[in-house]
Amino acid sequence: MKRIRFARKIITTLLRDRTQYRGRLFVDTASLIARCGVLLVLYYYVFQLKGGEVNDTPFILVAWSMLFYFIFMTFRLRDIARSIMQDVQSGIVEILFSKPISYIAYKIWWQIGSGVYSFLVAAIVGSVALMSIVGIPDTMATVLFIPTLLSVLIGGTVLTLLIYIIVGLLAFWIEEVNPVFWIVDKAVMILGGSYLPIALFPDLMYKFALYSPFGASQFITHTVYESWQNNWYVLAGIQYVWILGLAVVMVIMFAYARKKVSVNGG
Amino acid sequence: MLRELYFALYAIKKNIASSAELRTSFLMNVIGMTINNTAFIFLWIFFVQSVGVINGWTGADIVGLQGFSALAYGIVFSVAMGIRKLPDYVASGSFDRFMLSPKNILLRVATSAFSASAVGDVIFGIICLVIYAVLLHAGFLQILLGTLLVLCAAIIFLACTVIVFSTSFYFVDAHNVSNGLFEIFFTPALFHGGAFQGITRFVYTFLIPSLLIGALPVEIMRDTSLAGMFLVLFLTLFWLFVAVIVFNKAVRRYESSNFMTFGN
Repeated sequence: MKRIRFARKIITTLLRDRTQYRGRLFVDTASLIARCGVLLVLYYYVFQLKGGEVNDTPFILVAWSMLFYFIFMTFRLRDIARSIMQDVQSGIVEILFSKPISYIAYKIWWQIGSGVYSFLVAAIVGSVALMSIVGIPDTMATVLFIPTLLSVLIGGTVLTLLIYIIVGLLAFWIEEVNPVFWIVDKAVMILGGSYLPIALFPDLMYKFALYSPFGASQFITHTVYESWQNNWYVLAGIQYVWILGLAVVMVIMFAYARKKVSVNGG
Repeated sequence: MLRELYFALYAIKKNIASSAELRTSFLMNVIGMTINNTAFIFLWIFFVQSVGVINGWTGADIVGLQGFSALAYGIVFSVAMGIRKLPDYVASGSFDRFMLSPKNILLRVATSAFSASAVGDVIFGIICLVIYAVLLHAGFLQILLGTLLVLCAAIIFLACTVIVFSTSFYFVDAHNVSNGLFEIFFTPALFHGGAFQGITRFVYTFLIPSLLIGALPVEIMRDTSLAGMFLVLFLTLFWLFVAVIVFNKAVRRYESSNFMTFGN
């Protein structure tokens, strides 16, 4: 109960804070338009040139898949890696370790609270805009769509947090975590289906996207394709296996990281 | 003017020397960024494999595009990273020290910081452009055009970065706003140039000059287009002029926040 109250307090406080900064919301929406909007216009043009379909996939599926990726990006869950890194480099981690709260739980709720407002606004505005421009594909009108979408959204959120927490925790051992962050981030970006939708992946790359944690964290982009109706439970299973595996890695890493810190007080 | 440039060069030299002292971190940043950049090449080459040639753009052109963009980005942020720190300088009040300096404010701010990872961009950009020149079987004129275009791309990139980060003087939450605007400008520069046609090409050439960083230089070098070169030269001067005006106007809005950070 205490933990739930703690999470609720952080999220509601940050939600209130974020609603005050209209500039940030403007930026998130503008970024979504700059990245996703422009990309969709370009893909629309390319699909027109290719007669409406590429790799037997129509533009409408690609558009929704890419929108889901970019909406998920506005959650900014990846920023947790840099946040942990800054805590370690600045020494703030010492102070937070001495508080009667779980450091990792605090960082997770903080990250979710920071991004949830932009995420919800982007999800609503982006979906309504795309719905009115290209419509909804049949695959999104099935009974299965919403429950499985919510399931992989939650799974993707947890898996993304785990991946980036592990990257952030490396700061306890490595002087400069940024290069690791960039490489992991690009792996998520490529295998998640950002600039190149998963429907256009070559075979080998598609397998990497399915079986690596980087691709599994973005399974939300798979939900609009027809294949999702038949193999959603396999993908959800892969996602939850990675969650379990990386959770164990994170717990062990955090235990070792704690031992490396000496709180000097003051 | 020469004195100002001499001072800027001195500041850049000191920044590089100071950053290179942390050798492991410096090397990790350089190597990490070089690996990181190859992701975009893979992405767009897979794209070309899937959809084929679009408006004459092949896989080789993608290599050139990434080369021009990375080199422009790398050159600017390896010598003028201070521009990107403008929101922090303004918010914390440490911009005071630039106001009090007898040197040119823009040059002083720009050369106040250095990014080791941008050196990785420079290396990556040079490698890509050499590969592109080989794939293109580039002649002397094309290489000359390519060199000129790198300079123009870097100046346009610098000018746009100055304009974007000058918004720090106008917004309270400037860090996010300026970084978001920077993404609006820079992200399309990394996209497949052949897919920009009609209105999108006009918008991203004349209103938001993203295509001037990579896509247009690739096409000018490939087609040895002198008319295109003159257009880019003209737009380079135009954006540089606009950037200086916007920055000087924006600086007038600055109010010290009384942080005791002089000399930091």
